[in-house]
Amino acid sequence: MPAYELRLAAPLAGFFALFFLAPLAILFYVSLQNGAGLDLSHYARFLFDPFSLGVLGRTLLLGAEVTALCLLLGFPLAWVYVRSPGWLRPVLMLAVLLPLLTSVVVRTFAWIVILGRQGIVNSALLSLGFTDTPLRLLYTEGGVAVALAQVQIPLMVLPLITALSRIDTNLDDASLALGAGAWRGFWRITLPLSLPGIVAGGLLTYAAAITAFITQSLVGGGQMLFMPMYIYQQATALQNWPFAAAISIVFLAAVLAVVSVFNALGRLSRTHADA
Amino acid sequence: MIASRRTLMTGALTLGAMHLLPGLSKAQARLLVFATFTGSWEEAHKDVLVPAFRKATGADMVLDPMLSVDQIAKVKASLANPPIDVMLHDPGPALVAIDQGLVEPYPVAESKHYADLIAEAQIPTGPAPFFQVVGLTYNPDKVKTPPTSWADLWKPEFKGRVGITNLNSTLGTGFLVEIARMHGGSETNVDAGFQALKDLKPNLAAVAANPGQLATLYQQGQVEIGPGNFNAIQILKARGVPVEFVSPKEGAIAFKTTIHIVKNSPNKELAFKLIEAALSPVVQEKLMGSPYLIVPTNSKVKITGEVAKVLASSVEDLKKKFVFQDWAAINKQRASWIERFNREIA
Repeated sequence: MPAYELRLAAPLAGFFALFFLAPLAILFYVSLQNGAGLDLSHYARFLFDPFSLGVLGRTLLLGAEVTALCLLLGFPLAWVYVRSPGWLRPVLMLAVLLPLLTSVVVRTFAWIVILGRQGIVNSALLSLGFTDTPLRLLYTEGGVAVALAQVQIPLMVLPLITALSRIDTNLDDASLALGAGAWRGFWRITLPLSLPGIVAGGLLTYAAAITAFITQSLVGGGQMLFMPMYIYQQATALQNWPFAAAISIVFLAAVLAVVSVFNALGRLSRTHADA
Repeated sequence: MIASRRTLMTGALTLGAMHLLPGLSKAQARLLVFATFTGSWEEAHKDVLVPAFRKATGADMVLDPMLSVDQIAKVKASLANPPIDVMLHDPGPALVAIDQGLVEPYPVAESKHYADLIAEAQIPTGPAPFFQVVGLTYNPDKVKTPPTSWADLWKPEFKGRVGITNLNSTLGTGFLVEIARMHGGSETNVDAGFQALKDLKPNLAAVAANPGQLATLYQQGQVEIGPGNFNAIQILKARGVPVEFVSPKEGAIAFKTTIHIVKNSPNKELAFKLIEAALSPVVQEKLMGSPYLIVPTNSKVKITGEVAKVLASSVEDLKKKFVFQDWAAINKQRASWIERFNREIA
């Protein structure tokens, strides 16, 4: 790589060093503070506590659920977009982008209205006679997952559109001509070739879903504890900065582990696509 | 004016440099920053206190509303150059802020109004400009017989209709202590309170993340009854949301809300003047009016209107009807209660 390219990245590197790496180092230092000395006791407290590990596990699981839901809903949408005629595309693109153009707080409040005891879903179920008492939808993990999926879906759809539009449509025709059914063609051709898009979209939705403090706390309520709220609670309500810092580092490490799994999948898919 | 690329660049660079080197533009000190609470308090202070401050000093100021605990975190993170000049605190966080040396003692001797405050509000680390009152709030359209006691929340008819907050807030913690007391506990022993919270679970429609969110849940019909802050619901009520407040027969819980000059504030003189305005009878009387109904602490204010009707007829009467809690004792164990709430109730 020519040297000047690296030099061009220097301002950004400096910016990251000053505003990202340095604070991260300070965060790590704070997480080691214990009274007068430095040790790993806060990490031990987290890692040997079933309750804390449960919060971490639930948060990572929530991310997986939201990612799966986004993929399930987003893939057909991206597929329709790629196959739709030119005049329809701008309309679909606007529909995809619309959630990004509204504030997260507003979107989340809309979900409170939808899922509440007197919300749209419950009113419909009550008037259709499916239930006598309003169902509990708000303040449940399912409610949080659905709300987060709606909020994050553009992050999944956009990379999918890019990946799907790169696939040569002749490949589909070829597989049909060679006698494969539509489903077989999808499983053997379209899905493997769109894997880079799935991985990129999955990474973005996953990272956004597990750190979505606002949606998690508003739709999840004060009873459901996920990592961002756990960190906030320790740092502000309890003023226990060292423990909060330790939790943050553990959370960061856990997320990095998940990200590296995604990356490995991405590499696998590229070799698959090249083969 | 047609700006050439060169002048634009120079302008942009200068702006950038001013951000990088804030010391350059520091000659004109920043405006006074008062971190009030969000919601009703912010609206009340914007409407009454800020204009009174402007009139008294001719200076301008900024409201930066946030929770007590967030104020402490912000000041603690930058103690040498705090971003806030005046803090407003619930009793629990106030003690934390004082313990950690984040507040300046109030210049009592120079104050015109301090001596007129009722005894409970005269606190030299930062006086109380008002009380917050927690009682029962309910939706009168759905709850036909007004509740009279905290114990009513456990009635089977309220299955799936009660809203509370978690212990991150003063409201949630104060409520826990009060129901512990009701079952023979105290500020130092809340076991009975936790048991009562567990028994309340079938009735819970929501455990809100904070009191502001709890108040809006009445608007959405998500909850119909629960412990609530007298002032937090006034704004909703003024906008036509069906919600009412009653003092339970055990007595409404009163929180002394204290106002403090932040240590190392560059605007100490103005901060003092803002607090003086907040203690003055003129401002307190206005804040007591509709729709804010903020409970005064200055004994020269004659209690009238809705506050007199719902809470107490005089400042002396307030003291008899309110339950004050020992927050020094509560603070000692609050962290472990929050942990316990995470584990047992969540």
